[in-house]
Amino acid sequence: MSSPRSSTSSNPPENGASLIPNERVPSRSNTNPALQERQQIPRELSRNPVDQDELEDEEELKYGAAHVIKLFVPVSLCMMVVVATISSVTYYTQKGIYLVYTPFHEDSPDTGTKVWNAVANAAILLGVIVVMTVFLIMLYKYRCYKIIHGWLIMSSLMLLFIFAYLYLGEVLRTYNIPLDYISLLFIMWNFGVVGMIAIHWKAPLHLQQAYLIFVAALMALVFIKYLPEWTTWVVLGVISIWDLVAVLSPRGPLRILVETAQSRNEPLFPALIYSSTVAYMAVMATDQSSTSNSTSNNETAANGPRSPTDGGFTPAWNQEAEQRTEARRHRVQAAAAEAPRAAPQPQPVTEEIDDDEEERGIKLGLGDFIFYSVLVGKASSYGDWNTTIACFVAILIGLCLTLLLLAIFRKALPALPISITFGLVFYFATSKLVAPFADSLTAQQVFI
Amino acid sequence: MDIERLKNDSKLVLCRKYYYGGFAFLPFLWTINAFWFSRDAFYKPHFEEQHQIRQYVIRSGIGALVWLVIFISWTCVFQINRASWGELGDQLSFVIPRGIP
Repeated sequence: MSSPRSSTSSNPPENGASLIPNERVPSRSNTNPALQERQQIPRELSRNPVDQDELEDEEELKYGAAHVIKLFVPVSLCMMVVVATISSVTYYTQKGIYLVYTPFHEDSPDTGTKVWNAVANAAILLGVIVVMTVFLIMLYKYRCYKIIHGWLIMSSLMLLFIFAYLYLGEVLRTYNIPLDYISLLFIMWNFGVVGMIAIHWKAPLHLQQAYLIFVAALMALVFIKYLPEWTTWVVLGVISIWDLVAVLSPRGPLRILVETAQSRNEPLFPALIYSSTVAYMAVMATDQSSTSNSTSNNETAANGPRSPTDGGFTPAWNQEAEQRTEARRHRVQAAAAEAPRAAPQPQPVTEEIDDDEEERGIKLGLGDFIFYSVLVGKASSYGDWNTTIACFVAILIGLCLTLLLLAIFRKALPALPISITFGLVFYFATSKLVAPFADSLTAQQVFI
Repeated sequence: MDIERLKNDSKLVLCRKYYYGGFAFLPFLWTINAFWFSRDAFYKPHFEEQHQIRQYVIRSGIGALVWLVIFISWTCVFQINRASWGELGDQLSFVIPRGIP
């Protein structure tokens, strides 16, 4: 099957890239730019009493809820693809080949050795991810967009052709369905090329989402297969901490990325958003389309590559978005004008832009999809449905909490830490505590 | 992307690109084209480029159907004759089904 070489060689891009876009940009308020709204509250309160405020709150809640659902569906779909594959196709749970980044294979029966193996593997993998992330940010910072694009195209090409090919083969073998090479060639060619078009160019929104979800699921399957047992768990923990650091610390790479994108008044990661790395597109991007609209208002499809994917929004929302973009552009320009003054202490500027930022849709990085799915898939690989469902629910709760925090803080937040922590806690609690307990209760015929 | 936000002429350009792209043995592209632009081609009130879009949509749809027929018939032929073709059948097979033990 796949040589370790082929699997590993595709990994660096995915690793590096998949983590980058963990930040989601909040967008709760359909009606008003939220921070503004909040600043206006005192005035409004004095003007007309509570009902206005309540109304806005309600609307915001409603809109927030819609966003939560919009994220739940793709995340659940991705996890379901992975779980279904893991529980039917044995190939993905067979061990034997590992990534080159995990040189220690946990072969020893000794627990201590296993622990340090897992930790060492996770450290190496994290190192690779950090290096890749920093490299990507350097590329972005120095505007090497071509290289970034090339990189992303390469990795999505690899996923869409090689890994999809392996996947198809294994699925067919599992279900014992004969297929000839001519049809195979035909199917893979259509699937892959259309996938490239959908991810990197223009295609219907749902198709693009479907491809992105599938790509994330494939990547998660690759991780599940090629990471040693305990390394997977350690990696999950380490990655969520890295996510926290990278997004929230003042010099964190992902934060730098967001700020760079904002200071250029570009859509966050134009290079990555349309590629396999960023994004659940439905809740994305009114912004880039409308930004490009407002900056080049009269251009038509010339701004095509920039303008796709504002779907998922109602026309009314889109119209409002345009007005807001207009306002935002002014504010950004104002901020840029103020920049010299604010340069010694950049904080105010960024915050101002942050508040512009939040009217976009919520974005969830493909990296988040991948690691959520890795957790659930790994949990399901032991064959216990209680554990799987516990992890699934835990991750969704974590996602909800993250979205709630997003509504409160209104800035890019890491999506992994809460969900993954919950997932890990639920996994170990369920598999080591609840399941044995329930089993012994059942054995004793005790019902509670 | 949302084609509702595109201008009519750029819709036509996009539709044409999809149509020509489909000739590279990509009936999937044609299928998408046929569905994606069908609303513009048939249900929208008349606009200037509609006629051309409609033509491309219809041709894409027909092309996709033709490919579907070809694909299904080839699959049927292969599945029926695989065993009797002997070595050739095996060489053509990507997955050879296991028998039931």
